[in-house]
Amino acid sequence: MRSLNFHLKVLITVLVSLGIFVTAYQIFVLNIPVKANETDNLWNIDAKVDFQAASSGPVKAQMFLPPLGQGFISLNESFISNNYGVNVNRVNANRVITWSARRASGSQTLYYRLVLSQRYGSQQDEENGPIYRESLPVEGAERIAAEALLAPIRQHSADVETFVSETIRRVNNKNDDNARLLLGGDPTAQRKAAAVELLLSMAHVPLERVHTLKLAETPQTPELWLRSYNGKRWLYFNPETGEQGLPRDRLLWWTGAEPLLKVDGGSRANVTFTIDRSEINAIRLAQIANQNASASFLEYSLYGLPLSTQQTYQIMIMIPIGVLIILILRNLGGLQTLGTFTPVLIALAFRETQLGFGIVLFTLITALGLSLRSYLEHLKLQMLPRLSVVLTFVVVLIAVISLFSHKLGLEQGLSVALFPMVILTMTIERLSITWEERGAGHAMKVAAGTLIAATLAHLVMNIAALTYFMFTFPATLLILVGFMLAMGRYRGYRLTELIRFKAFLKE
Amino acid sequence: MIGLWRTWKALEAKGIMGINRRNADYVLKYNRRSLYPIVDDKIITKQRAIDAGIQVPELYGIIETEKQIERLHEIVGGRSDFVVKPAQGAGGDGILVIADRFEGRYKTVSGKLVSHDDIEHQISSILTGLYSLGGHRDRALIEYRVTPDPIFKSISYEGVPDIRIIVLMGYPVMAMLRLPTRQSHGKANLHQGAIGVGVDLASGLTLQGSWLNDKISKHPDTGNPVADVQLPDWAGFMHLAASCYELCGLGYIGVDMVLDQERGPLILELNARPGLNIQIANDCGLTLRTHAVEAHLGTLSQRGLTEDVPTRVAFAQGLFGRQA
Repeated sequence: MRSLNFHLKVLITVLVSLGIFVTAYQIFVLNIPVKANETDNLWNIDAKVDFQAASSGPVKAQMFLPPLGQGFISLNESFISNNYGVNVNRVNANRVITWSARRASGSQTLYYRLVLSQRYGSQQDEENGPIYRESLPVEGAERIAAEALLAPIRQHSADVETFVSETIRRVNNKNDDNARLLLGGDPTAQRKAAAVELLLSMAHVPLERVHTLKLAETPQTPELWLRSYNGKRWLYFNPETGEQGLPRDRLLWWTGAEPLLKVDGGSRANVTFTIDRSEINAIRLAQIANQNASASFLEYSLYGLPLSTQQTYQIMIMIPIGVLIILILRNLGGLQTLGTFTPVLIALAFRETQLGFGIVLFTLITALGLSLRSYLEHLKLQMLPRLSVVLTFVVVLIAVISLFSHKLGLEQGLSVALFPMVILTMTIERLSITWEERGAGHAMKVAAGTLIAATLAHLVMNIAALTYFMFTFPATLLILVGFMLAMGRYRGYRLTELIRFKAFLKE
Repeated sequence: MIGLWRTWKALEAKGIMGINRRNADYVLKYNRRSLYPIVDDKIITKQRAIDAGIQVPELYGIIETEKQIERLHEIVGGRSDFVVKPAQGAGGDGILVIADRFEGRYKTVSGKLVSHDDIEHQISSILTGLYSLGGHRDRALIEYRVTPDPIFKSISYEGVPDIRIIVLMGYPVMAMLRLPTRQSHGKANLHQGAIGVGVDLASGLTLQGSWLNDKISKHPDTGNPVADVQLPDWAGFMHLAASCYELCGLGYIGVDMVLDQERGPLILELNARPGLNIQIANDCGLTLRTHAVEAHLGTLSQRGLTEDVPTRVAFAQGLFGRQA
């Protein structure tokens, strides 16, 4: 017995921890929303390319596109371009789109649209970068200025990270003559980046320019950032402020010093970005993301089923919850019900009839069925023929009720489908057996208990948030099983027993 | 809430057994499912008892098919009283007790006249499973009618009082006398309104009574006090109950017995899920007693010993008797 108890404890621990682990994994690692109405931001980025085509010549426009991955999930990517051939390929670490046309004239407009979301974005392994570079050639006054700047920077830094941020800080120091000389009176981000690159190259620290977009509904142009590889990961710096680390709302568009757009056979090329934010239901987003991402975390969940099957499972997965309620009511509360699962089945039938109408209907039909049965008792019929009569009577009764309520304009009466009918007849049969075995009073008590249990089970099983949770995190069922197993060896009193044995406490 | 908790604690301190504990620690632990047919089917119980030489009401005959109903005359023979029972009935339903014959008809205990056809109809109902658990086909048995010992006249209304002893692994742990009342229609089932009266295991003297979930001291129909009645042949009852463990192999059973005027203690039936109201009748919790027996069994099994029926009875009487 003790080994059995130990066995049970191990089993319960394993099941419960497995259930908690899987659910926690889904919530915290896969980021699956806990609530059905949880929403997430969906970013819609439009890059509009305008240029003036030179008269009737071939045109080729090349633009950098953001690499996919990097903490975002792209849900949709589209290229809108009349009469242009579209070709996307990789150039070094960048993606480049090439629009090309044999003949084009006048003002041209091309669109690139990207829809992405931060949720479910997997942190892809970034490519390694160089950790050493040759010095850029520099001579004369600039070299001296650079060396003068470098000496204190070396002194004030410990590693690549501090070295780079110290360099940026020095270059941005308006009172530093050396820095001013390097910038040549042109304090743009571009120029600062060049100065920083020069300084770092003399120290053999590699540096890359990255162009980023901020995910915000404001018109903007790509902002220049700098990044350096420290042997383990990329470090990002803002060349204006020396601020380190790329904010989460920044999307890396391309790297390198080249301009965003190059147009051959056109002039006055210009790119404008429009960023729109919309909200999307998080679980819907997950489903879309699932189709677009290689990480198909919903593939083996119930969302992988066809839609009609999903609806069935949304009901089915709540049955264990209903059973759990009956278990608690019976073994902890001491409520008497007809069997274990009849109340759950009645609760399922309430889905189709609605609660209030369902209770009335069940009470009415069961009462009439039982009174017919007690009349048949006088005729001393054998069991099988008598039950057949009762069942036939129930069918007739339900038909009559449906007909009347239809004539009265109550469409609910028609909701008595096949399923509730089977349950009804079963209930009457079981109730009449109970009546025979234990008497009318007991049968009434059991019937009331069944109705109470069914109502409660129905109410709990119809909590939308709970249905969503169970359906999305089915591993919760393992936790339920653990609880049920524990209940299997529960020896405490039932609530009604505290009343039943009250006689002991009267002295 | 606190009140309920206090009730809980008080009941626990008294060792009152609840349904969950009975099921988990006793019924499921000691009663193998495969042995249930022995107690669920009265015919098998009876045959086992006869084989083991244990006293049961004499079996006149078994009717298994509709065709065999014709044999009723032959089975009954010239006897004027007998009982018709479903083999797998529950709660005393479907039992027909014929006390006498009256001008070609039969007379039940309550004085109602029934014809031979009525009895045949009753047997037919039994066969279709009207009274069996779950409505399965059943068998009917016709057996000796027990005449209750007159000792119970003053504290019983119609019917036959019976004695229930709960036996754990062959050790009697608690006993109760069940007295039919007008409300229970002469049946000795507590949930139908019969009175349960605790019995001292050592002496066979009745203790106080319980009716439904309350304590009472007098029989509601006869008005006589139920306590301090000496049950005759108490040693016989104890021996009979204790030997039922060997008979059926189930470790936790309620043994229902009757005291016949002529034949003494007889076993009526065994119950694999004995009710818990016996605790109210005895004003004593079952858990304390079953734990004592289990502890005793533990020490015995360590030494590799088993005890025979008289030793087990003596152990139980020494430990649970009022005098001890």
